[in-house]
Amino acid sequence: MESGYVHMPEPVIASVGASPLGHTDLPGRDLFSLALAEAFDELPAPADLVEAMYVGNQSESYEHQIMYGTLLAEWAGLRHVPAERVEGCAAAGALALRHAVKDVRNGEHEAVLACGVEKMTAAGTSGATDALSAAFDRAIEQRSGVTAPSQYALLAQRYLHETDATERDLAEIAVKNHANAANNPRAQFPEEIDVATVLESDPVAPPLKLFDCAPVGDGAAAVLVTTPDLAADLDRPQVRVAGSGASANSIAVAERDMTEIAGARVAAERAYEEAGIDAGAVDIVEVHDAFTVCEALLAEAAGFAPAGTGYQSYLPPAERATGWTDVQLSPSGGLKARGHPIGATGLLQALEAYEQLTGTAGDRTITDAETALLLNEGGVADAVTVSHVLTTAEAR
Amino acid sequence: MTDSSLDATDPRTLPGFFAALADGTLLGGVCADCEQVLLPPRPACYACGSRAVTVEPQSREGRIFSYTAVHTPPPAFAADAPYTVAVVELADGGRLLGRVDADYADVSIGDSVELTVREPTAPEREAALDYETDWPVHVFEQQ
Repeated sequence: MESGYVHMPEPVIASVGASPLGHTDLPGRDLFSLALAEAFDELPAPADLVEAMYVGNQSESYEHQIMYGTLLAEWAGLRHVPAERVEGCAAAGALALRHAVKDVRNGEHEAVLACGVEKMTAAGTSGATDALSAAFDRAIEQRSGVTAPSQYALLAQRYLHETDATERDLAEIAVKNHANAANNPRAQFPEEIDVATVLESDPVAPPLKLFDCAPVGDGAAAVLVTTPDLAADLDRPQVRVAGSGASANSIAVAERDMTEIAGARVAAERAYEEAGIDAGAVDIVEVHDAFTVCEALLAEAAGFAPAGTGYQSYLPPAERATGWTDVQLSPSGGLKARGHPIGATGLLQALEAYEQLTGTAGDRTITDAETALLLNEGGVADAVTVSHVLTTAEAR
Repeated sequence: MTDSSLDATDPRTLPGFFAALADGTLLGGVCADCEQVLLPPRPACYACGSRAVTVEPQSREGRIFSYTAVHTPPPAFAADAPYTVAVVELADGGRLLGRVDADYADVSIGDSVELTVREPTAPEREAALDYETDWPVHVFEQQ
């Protein structure tokens, strides 16, 4: 196969780690220390391996702290490495991963640490609401008083208007993700719920209710990206990063096609193209279900479902509409139930795929999975989307 | 009009756009190459990349494209909740988000609305940045 990267090292993920997720009593840097400790549990010290570092972080308004690259490099004992914070709201984590992947791919470094951290509970619910609203266009959207749930509610209202989907279908997506999280010891909400719980939960921004929304929570994650040779020297299970794509779309929701998530489609297609696959080859996808409707929209944008049928993501593959692939969506429990500490989320998606593809996902293992897609979004829906294709080392 | 001449009176800047809006005129960018309407105006067309963007008054009438109600507002808007917001498709083709002066239960997709403009309230001025203090707030009213 022709490839633009035949002379470049193909990046692999060699190790992953995460802090506890949810309401914690630890500041961001300490959450990072826990994630790092897990990722380097069976490895030499970070200072003996890591040559550069990227930190996904949404907002300084939670902890009044920028310079997160410098700070976390120091806390990791990484003296004088290039280190920087990466910002793209909830896509910051996957942007950090993408930078690490590119550094290894272009031969600049052999080992780069991609990490993410958010201390969302520091400012309470209203503080988080305010911090997240900074992701919207200031001139029109913020001054009109919209919130993250209401922006996604505008997408959901339109989606329910244009398709056969119902509020009950969106509720079923939340139920499915909670059921998946019940098998995930890392999950913020590992409890199964029923459809009535979702439908009867408090209105947040109709048609979206409290249980359509991913939770506010703290968390950190760390992903070590290396060359295949270094991962082999370290005797680590490897997952290939076969493709990476990113795409920005207009910041204002009103100016986009609100039910055809074009930026996400472009990001996914770029990652597929680099990996030399199409959507049908993907066994597992971790989607950015910040709100239930996102899973439906992203299933369509990434090519898993025909237009207007993405809401069937909660059904077993055999019961979905004709044209759907057999992909399994968000075995981690997704943002809804695994948790959504904004800057760490894209790396938590990578962590899930690493565990699935290296056979360490325990009771939630998807049997025979070889290829995973990660879709991490920032701003409202596809204001920015970062997509990665990960495969087992054997899938070459 | 070239980009290098942009100043705060130019409607392709936010101060210029809001100054016109305060006088009741909604200005949009219109791409000379692909006819895309850009609200507010800006120097480049996001649909096709052209920089041949003219500025033209836009109809203030439109229809509800999507809508919701904010039950969990940002701190600055807490006293107003729940309030209705919508994306409105204007008669000249652009789309704009804004508040709707109606209860959520009384709004449907397709409803006719008209853009109106008011001065910011005291809490809105409180939440504004220095340069935004006098910018008007647009609200859609049902017809």
